[in-house]
Amino acid sequence: MTSNGQRPDVAIDVDAITFRYEPKSPDVLHGVSLQIHHGEFVAMIGQNGAGKTTLAKTFNGLLKPTTGTVLAGGTDTRTASVGQLARSVGYVYQNPDHQIFAQRVRAEVAFGPNNLKLSEAEVAERVQEALELVDLADHADEFAFSLGRGQRQKLAVASVLAMRPPTLVVDEPTTGLDQKGAKGILDLLTRWNTHGRTIIVITHDMTLVAERVPRTVVVGGGRIIADGPTREVLSNQELLAEAFLRPPQVTRVAQRLARYGVASDALTVPELHAELSRVLRGAV
Amino acid sequence: MPVGYSIYVERPSYVHRRIDPRTKLAALGATFVFALAFNHPLPLALLMVAVLAIGRWATIPWRKMAPFLIGGTWFLVLGVMVWPLYVKGGPVLLTPFGIEYTLDGVLFGVAMGLRVALMVIAAGVWMMTTSPQRLTEGLLRLGLPHKAGIAMTAAIRFVPLLNAERVTIQEARQARALDLQRGNPFSRAVRSIAIIGPLFIRAIDVAQSLALAMDARGFGARDGRSSIVVLTFSRTDRVIVFVLLATCIAAVVGRLLGFGTITKDYL
Repeated sequence: MTSNGQRPDVAIDVDAITFRYEPKSPDVLHGVSLQIHHGEFVAMIGQNGAGKTTLAKTFNGLLKPTTGTVLAGGTDTRTASVGQLARSVGYVYQNPDHQIFAQRVRAEVAFGPNNLKLSEAEVAERVQEALELVDLADHADEFAFSLGRGQRQKLAVASVLAMRPPTLVVDEPTTGLDQKGAKGILDLLTRWNTHGRTIIVITHDMTLVAERVPRTVVVGGGRIIADGPTREVLSNQELLAEAFLRPPQVTRVAQRLARYGVASDALTVPELHAELSRVLRGAV
Repeated sequence: MPVGYSIYVERPSYVHRRIDPRTKLAALGATFVFALAFNHPLPLALLMVAVLAIGRWATIPWRKMAPFLIGGTWFLVLGVMVWPLYVKGGPVLLTPFGIEYTLDGVLFGVAMGLRVALMVIAAGVWMMTTSPQRLTEGLLRLGLPHKAGIAMTAAIRFVPLLNAERVTIQEARQARALDLQRGNPFSRAVRSIAIIGPLFIRAIDVAQSLALAMDARGFGARDGRSSIVVLTFSRTDRVIVFVLLATCIAAVVGRLLGFGTITKDYL
């Protein structure tokens, strides 16, 4: 415990926050509390307008809570600028074109580390590392805007990774990407997570959540509707229906087959396959 | 992010609904002529009261007019501070730092401040009472080509859209530890220039999608187009335009005869 009651293993500590954009406009977030620990990989799901992005933007101080507190890496976000908080929480935008502004790929990735006032050698090392992580090392001297959509998304991620923030928020990283591009981004996030970094991913992609992310937070109507292990959350039909979400297809199939003895919480194709094999072998 | 349409304030008022946009454009033009015709604060102040009265008659709340009034006040302060340095005459009012502020100088400063404030506030009231659609239709009736009309409406539509984009891009850069508050004004300005690149790319992107979407819906298939907005230039409009024209001529003649002026050395 530190002096402000913050546990050192908590990366993001949201305590009973409400948020509204204008003083007289209605609340967008209603008393949200959430703790994300260091090294976790968390998905935030919910329909459009549920408040996912608003909530995520309070993590790095882009939005300051109207009431309640958000501690990012132990710092109250209201007492620090976004620039300062960027050291502890990185934020990757949904649309890479909002983020990319440098001419060359290398310069784009170097922007963040340069803002951190690192030495030239340190910046170069981090840029190289980040570009290798996202498989863009061969494109370092190309024009940033001439990259394809998937590569621009990777560049956006790399430009934040190069700052080596302990916590990384990624907003809709797979929107508009094909399966290969989406998988590339996810492999990357998974790798980054195994390096001990905290990852919070905002997404609509249930399959992605089911296959990769251990903890899921469901946001709906500006509240947290559910928060727990992905398997529990995604197999709870009533709960997902409340957030206007549907379980992954595989889980829905498993749920329909439950009366034949199939476990209804299968999340991935291999899991369902194993379940079906087991049940079928029993029947023979 | 609120993405709205210009600063237009929808109200069921006489000014909004019954007066033709062409008449309102003429009124704006006339206000500019009046503002430039006089350099004595009295007629300009009366004109200011008239413009604000029209705004209130059109039930524009003070809150919506506040940005223009605040801007106007700045011009007033600036005018009173600067113009007495150049215009001298009448009794000396005060001498800060050995500079003589004369009555004529201060009055002229007030007049110049009012002049700019008048134009700004009149343009504001005009935009708040004329919907972009009606304005465009009015200009089309005055002979503006259709494509230019669309470009104009699109431009008005783009302002809030691009502003939202600008805020997002700025936030994205702050999220990468860019400290916009740091450094002197010059280096801050230099840092904010970097936003122009991505903003332009986004603007071109949006414009291209808009053009495609409009082509896909058959824009430009025919030369002439009907409009959902129907304008009627009524008898009242004719009377207003006539009165405006007459008073404009009277104002210019009056000015040439020396009415409503403090000095003839400046416009």
